[in-house]
Amino acid sequence: MQIHLIDQTFSHAILAAGGINAPHIPGLGSLSNSILVALIVTTVILLFTRMATRKMALVPDGKQNFVEFVVEFLYGQVEEIVGEKVAPRVFPLLATLFVFILSANWFGLIPGVGTIGFGEKVGFLMIDPDDHSFVPLLRPATADLNMTFGMAAVFMFMWVWITVKETGVIGFFKHVFAPKGGLTGFMWWALLPIFMFVGVIEIISIMFRPVSLSFRLLGNVYAGETLLHSMGNIGALMGMGEWPSRILGVLVPLPFYFMEILVGLIQAIVFTLLCAVYVQLSTAHDEDDH
Amino acid sequence: MGELLDTFGFTLGKFISQVIIIFIVYLILSKFAFGPVMAMLEERRRRIADGEANLEKIREQMEQAEANVQQMLDKANADADRLIVEAKESAESVREQKTQAAISEAGQIIAKANEAAKLEHEQLMTELKRDFGRLVIDTTGKVTGKVLDDKDQERINQETAGQVAL
Repeated sequence: MQIHLIDQTFSHAILAAGGINAPHIPGLGSLSNSILVALIVTTVILLFTRMATRKMALVPDGKQNFVEFVVEFLYGQVEEIVGEKVAPRVFPLLATLFVFILSANWFGLIPGVGTIGFGEKVGFLMIDPDDHSFVPLLRPATADLNMTFGMAAVFMFMWVWITVKETGVIGFFKHVFAPKGGLTGFMWWALLPIFMFVGVIEIISIMFRPVSLSFRLLGNVYAGETLLHSMGNIGALMGMGEWPSRILGVLVPLPFYFMEILVGLIQAIVFTLLCAVYVQLSTAHDEDDH
Repeated sequence: MGELLDTFGFTLGKFISQVIIIFIVYLILSKFAFGPVMAMLEERRRRIADGEANLEKIREQMEQAEANVQQMLDKANADADRLIVEAKESAESVREQKTQAAISEAGQIIAKANEAAKLEHEQLMTELKRDFGRLVIDTTGKVTGKVLDDKDQERINQETAGQVAL
């Protein structure tokens, strides 16, 4: 296989980012293109935050001001959901997830991500339209199940730790299985089987949380990528000539880029918001606990 | 389940790599970004609270100072009014004393003047009597052609003085 770079405007209809799988980059061993992007995004985030927070002052400069604004805003939102007590413990994780997902989502919209890569050359900066072995050099990190499931797994691990820390193991099981609403005496025993059953459903629901979190994010980002690729190749798909296809390939995806910017933000919010709600649900104390 | 995961490209190695990346981002951001930023926000919040507290303290001190100033002004006004009244009273008293002193002095001056005038008058009268007596003696001596002795002169003087003392 010859290796050539291609550009989006010259590419033909291909699956977004070369398919749902995140393939290894040729010549880089087991490093997949999504891991590479995750590393790049990580580096960018860390460099920026390091620059912004290295010389912190009471009167902040532009970068520090921006980072402070983001942190203060996110902390306010998290505190509103999980409460004043749990917020300091859970905020760093939720903020990390939000910042990382948002950065990864938007990084995926940079022209070239998912479209520049390795494949069979058939012309100047063009690959074979039927070549399914095309390997993009860069792929949106959140368009890879390994990454989204990894984030969900990290969250669930921290969720268990925070919940146990906050309520204790017995408290957690009591919270899930025991009758709620301040019931006592006969009513407590009478409703116990029902609440036990509901508890089992709750446990199943908890077990599916990482699945729902990861697949929701993956689905949205991957669908967005596919949409952009399809719009970029709409001229070729409709059988137009080379130059009309190229012009349409630039113009048609533009509105969808703006939409995907919004989708990237919304998906970061949804993921983080759900995580915050899960924490709140498991750490909220019943009235009779007080 | 395995087939489903394969379909979506899930592999344990990549999954673990991504988990490690997320953990690294989480740890570094917590230590170098969220921690310092939260500390800075807390520091700023504390300073603002301190500033507000100081402002409140300064405001209270200002109010206290204004009250003190007002109190001092009131006291000064009262003192000034009292002093003015006292000064008026004092001035009246001094004026009265001075007037009385002036009247008294004027009376004394008038009395002295009267006394002096009286003395002068008496002195003049004495000189006049003497001169008149001498004149009468000279005239009597010339008219009578007689040399008057001391006894005659004394008698004529006394008679003349008695006549003049009218």
